[in-house]
Amino acid sequence: MADQLLIQILNGLFVGASLALVAAGLALLFGVLHIVNFAQGDFYMLGGYAVWFLLNATHNYVVSVIVGTIIVAVLGGLLLAAIIWPLLAKSQVLILLATLGLGLIMEQLATNFLGGDTKIIQPPLALSIPLGTVRYPVYNLIILGVGIGILVLGYFALQYTRYGIWLRAVAQNRPMAAALGVPVPRVYILALVVSSGLSALAGGLLLPLTSVYPLVGADVILNAFIVVVAGGLGNFRGAAIISILVGEVQSVGALFVSPAWLRVVLFGLVILLLMVRSRRQHLLVRL
Amino acid sequence: MLDVKDLHAYYGASHVVQGISFNIDQGEAVALVGRNGVGKTSTLKSLIGLETRVQGSIALQGTTLVGKPAHVRANRGLGYVPEERAVFPQMSVEENIRIGALLHPGKNQHGVLDRAYELFPILKERRLQLAGTLSGGQQKMLALARGIALQPKLLMVDEPTEGLMPANVELIANALLSAAQGGLTVLVVDSSFDLLRVLCSRMYAMDRGVLIGTYRPSDFSSPDELAATLLGEGRH
Repeated sequence: MADQLLIQILNGLFVGASLALVAAGLALLFGVLHIVNFAQGDFYMLGGYAVWFLLNATHNYVVSVIVGTIIVAVLGGLLLAAIIWPLLAKSQVLILLATLGLGLIMEQLATNFLGGDTKIIQPPLALSIPLGTVRYPVYNLIILGVGIGILVLGYFALQYTRYGIWLRAVAQNRPMAAALGVPVPRVYILALVVSSGLSALAGGLLLPLTSVYPLVGADVILNAFIVVVAGGLGNFRGAAIISILVGEVQSVGALFVSPAWLRVVLFGLVILLLMVRSRRQHLLVRL
Repeated sequence: MLDVKDLHAYYGASHVVQGISFNIDQGEAVALVGRNGVGKTSTLKSLIGLETRVQGSIALQGTTLVGKPAHVRANRGLGYVPEERAVFPQMSVEENIRIGALLHPGKNQHGVLDRAYELFPILKERRLQLAGTLSGGQQKMLALARGIALQPKLLMVDEPTEGLMPANVELIANALLSAAQGGLTVLVVDSSFDLLRVLCSRMYAMDRGVLIGTYRPSDFSSPDELAATLLGEGRH
């Protein structure tokens, strides 16, 4: 039981770390542009497909993940910008519907052109390490390390780099940031590109474990929304921390209750958290 | 330095600025005065590019600004210190000052910080504190110090002394005065007689979206006279 518990804790950490990449992108976008991007899960799907195609062409997993992430980040960011830009001054609902529509179109195009079947690859590392009486895959630990590394890097970039400080400034007070000369359109584009890229990176990293199919994004986005709502809309750090908690509740909880009940417990915890947060609004932190 | 011709601004269905024209010379400190709601803040917002529906001509040192977004106007040398929501509440005092300075990575960042801290030493003591946790007066000091330290060609300041204790009014007035004496061109919206008297060479009076006259602070012998003439107080 102790070995199983340890494995589930590690599983929770790596699921949480990858979920955090998707959720952090959502949180970043909400913080900077005040929009909810329903297509975020579909950039996860595109990341998975990009890595699958690139791996077939290059046979190098690391190169495929890096190049795939960059391609989806740039093209996805620009696509989002093209759709969102004309709607920025209009109702938030229009943007929400536009990203929902974009997601549905991407899912349908993926089904039409790539087929509805599941595409999977073997983990690039077949190594495992002993944990008590069982063995744990090294690749899962690498995902955990990369996920946490990217999030820590993102956190420090937000704190100390020029564009990081500007992203936070625009999130907190856009008119004042503009009046100080911060290039707001460039900051918007950066947020869109980084947000798409984080999702694509998660899709690429998890391809060997969860596979990719046209609707994989829909499965991911629900948890990501739970995380972002519970962590505080627009709160990059909150999203990262809650992701790990959700991953742990799902993995460790699976030892004790059925998946259906686990979801009930998860939603219950989120509601509880929201009730506590609503009484301590002053503690909400943006980016 | 600044030439404004036939400026109009609209807020929803309201025509809040109705064709005003004025100019400010290099190194001059000028005030825009009038009752609440006559269009002074809208004028400043129109100049910096934060009002969405604006017509007319705005030229800063011959460069036209109309149609350009706010960040471009700021980069052309226009500084703006709004009355409210002037700081980034969840960023430190130091970060608040550095935001604008980061536009020029080659420039000495410490120079900007030093200038700001020299104006208000209390900000140096609180440089790591979140701006949102400062008192109202300190937030005004922070916004003004940042505006001055960035060394714009023209600094527009909206109600810098509004709601402040007399001691803080004096601090703010001294900071603005020392910046103006150092050659900074200033356009200020305020109704403090003490501030206007020491700082400004001219005052444009505004009422219901139009300019109704130009005055000098020496035209008024007391705050009450200024208030009665320009702010409509005491009239029945």
